[in-house]
Amino acid sequence: MSGYVEIAIGVIQALVIVALAPLITGMMRKTKAKTQKRTGFGIFQPYCDIIKLLHKDEVVSDQSSWIFRFSPWVNFVAIGAAAFFIPVFLSNSPFGLVGDLLLVIGLFGLARFFTMLSGLDVASTFGGLGSGREMMISALLEPALFLSIFLVALTYGGTNLSTLVGAASDSPLLPHPQLIFAAIAMFIIILGETGRLPFDNPATHLELTMVHEAMILEYSGKSLALMEWSQSIKQMILFALIVNIFIPWGISSSISVSELGIGFLAFVAKISMFAIFVAWFETSVAKWRLFRIPDLIAIAIASLMIGIVFYFL
Amino acid sequence: MTQSHLEQYKKEIQGKFEDKIIKTEENYNELHFILTNQKDIPEICTYLYANMGTKLATMICTDERKLGNGFVIRYVFGKENGEDIFFFVTAKIDESTLSFPSIAMPIPSAALYEREIHDMFGLDAVGNPDTRPLVLHEHWPENTFPLRKEFDLKTKTTRKESQYKFLSVQGEGICEIPVGPVHAGIIEPGHFRFSVMGENIINLETRLFYTHKGIEKLAESMKIDDVLLLSERISGDESVANSTAFCQALEKIAMIEVPRRAQQIRTIFGELERLYNHMSSVAGIATDIGFAYGSSRLNIIKETLMRLNESLSGSRILFGVNRVGGVRCDITDESKTTIMKTIDKVSKDFEKVVTLLKSKSSFVDRLQGTGTIPKKAAQDLGIVGVAARCVGIDIDTRRDHPYAAYYTQHRGTPQEITQRQVTMQKRNGDVLARFEVRIQEILESFEIIRMSLQLESDGLHANTPTNLEPFRSALGYAESHRGQTVHWVMVGENNSIFRYKVRTASFLNWPIIEQAVLNDIVPDFPVVNKSLDLSYSGNDL
Repeated sequence: MSGYVEIAIGVIQALVIVALAPLITGMMRKTKAKTQKRTGFGIFQPYCDIIKLLHKDEVVSDQSSWIFRFSPWVNFVAIGAAAFFIPVFLSNSPFGLVGDLLLVIGLFGLARFFTMLSGLDVASTFGGLGSGREMMISALLEPALFLSIFLVALTYGGTNLSTLVGAASDSPLLPHPQLIFAAIAMFIIILGETGRLPFDNPATHLELTMVHEAMILEYSGKSLALMEWSQSIKQMILFALIVNIFIPWGISSSISVSELGIGFLAFVAKISMFAIFVAWFETSVAKWRLFRIPDLIAIAIASLMIGIVFYFL
Repeated sequence: MTQSHLEQYKKEIQGKFEDKIIKTEENYNELHFILTNQKDIPEICTYLYANMGTKLATMICTDERKLGNGFVIRYVFGKENGEDIFFFVTAKIDESTLSFPSIAMPIPSAALYEREIHDMFGLDAVGNPDTRPLVLHEHWPENTFPLRKEFDLKTKTTRKESQYKFLSVQGEGICEIPVGPVHAGIIEPGHFRFSVMGENIINLETRLFYTHKGIEKLAESMKIDDVLLLSERISGDESVANSTAFCQALEKIAMIEVPRRAQQIRTIFGELERLYNHMSSVAGIATDIGFAYGSSRLNIIKETLMRLNESLSGSRILFGVNRVGGVRCDITDESKTTIMKTIDKVSKDFEKVVTLLKSKSSFVDRLQGTGTIPKKAAQDLGIVGVAARCVGIDIDTRRDHPYAAYYTQHRGTPQEITQRQVTMQKRNGDVLARFEVRIQEILESFEIIRMSLQLESDGLHANTPTNLEPFRSALGYAESHRGQTVHWVMVGENNSIFRYKVRTASFLNWPIIEQAVLNDIVPDFPVVNKSLDLSYSGNDL
């Protein structure tokens, strides 16, 4: 019986991520608007955008192949599947038996691979530019991401997310100084992975400077809705990972209504705070020169190296 | 002072080219040399350009066949070292061959004018290396020359299919990126053809004139008052500079003395226009490198200034300020206090934002070394305004050819002048230099407005001229926020306009962007473009 309940809660956790993802995007946009002294639109606007786009017809270039039509679905399914492995308000996810953090990264990789292909597929100039830049950035980001996962895995003993988050919520932060370095690195990596400043400007209209937006420039209608939604989900997953690994307090470890309720509220509060912090951070920096982005990733890797040294001390 | 210089130059040049100049005329600060034969054009122009320290200010072609003069080309050279003199080299063009010798090799900035004259009048510049059409795109039928007098304004032309030849760069790994003419933002149309190797720009070619509206032709069919309105609309954000230049040309033709108060008001509005546009450029630089906070702070200031414009003139972009002989709208004591209050508030705010921007390493790093203009290219192409001052070319029409109330501007003590020259030498032409020049000019504009508010009380405008002497011409000029704008007007019979030639700063400054991006990567292009702040409409006419 409890097995079913666990699975049900696991499914609910995934659905929470999928459903709340656009809200987080909306909150970040609102925060940015406020910090720029603009009114901005409401935090539910991304939902309206998705609904609007779902009702619209699509324009597909006759130069494109099946990859272009296929890749929004690959994106949505791969990133949606990754959501199942993420502990949200219950530390042990029942799907942990099937896959761990490495699988989540693999699914992201798959989605990114198809996004890059679809950028090249339509043979428009900006798609190719965007894909090229994305390849450069991701080739540098992925080793950093793996290194940060290994550091966390070393500390908590395993790459299984349930183990990680469970161990994290049981232990105070202080005995693990290396985690501070891992958190700094993770923060930089997440900015890169979600295409935020100083890596990429998500609000840009300048086709020559874009990275992620350039790749999905040719999409419209339902495909665009799926692309944008999956991008929001990916962002939510990464935020959920960082808050649950580094600020695990409040997450529930047993299945009881009160604990789950507290866990949920704590999660919403933490992730909103984190999203607002990221949006505020974005306001305070300019986009870095494209060829200086490796420097930023080098900072992340250096921070991780120091963390590893601390672990073995 | 100018008068004695004029005499001296007249003697010098007459002495040198005695047999080649039929006649010399003076018209205010203009010195006209009328040539016997068109084959002497290169020699005299090169002499003026190389030996007299002048810049090619504009090149004007007119169709004077009706007057028995055939086609006439006037080369205007302006002195830029403190002597307020313009040299005109006037030559009749042989109607049988419809061609004239090119001066594009010794004076590279002439190349574009010569291509323009070819499109509009059908006169070939012999020796110009670039014979591609400029203004009229390839779909125009052959042998259509809109500025010839026989071309009717209402002519409907047929469309011809043809391709423009871009310079192609070949080699392994070179890609072409076509951008525009329709862009992603709300901006005007223009085509940019990049040849890139990875992200590095190997070559950039711009293609403009998509918004060619036929302003010069249109003016010939309009009444003078309407042409004034037209001149304001050449480029919406430089309305005061353009209408001031137009009014000055007509005031010279009609020999009207503009009241001091009107001149002061022109200065104030001219500076207000420069202010809000510089503010907008600096905000644009911040937007283009993704620093939205800085840009929104600056945009708030810009909005405050535009509301000030509206409260003073009824127009946010200062339409309807000028009239021939003076100004239309007055600055009352009440508006003086509004101006002072707004300027005080805005300048405090502005200083805060600038301090913030300069303290952001990510901001400064993006600007430094980006879009560096080579000084040699800047001199050859004769660029003007902020673009020229950011490479240390110290030109400013307000000082070199003072108009309106800029006569009264304090020129600085010798120490200040030396200081200015030293700063000029240090400027290296990158986006950061342009950013700093603009900030400095904003601060100067605040100061000029404060100083100019001591208004005289001698009236807003002189009497409107009733009868203009036919076929008299004059040059008007002003410094917009983009640089020098030059308008040349020749009136016809019955107070009509015979020829109206406009040369805005954008026309001279567009080519430099092709040079400025050569050491950059593609994602830096938008900020380079924004820092130069060029107008498409003002270029395409």
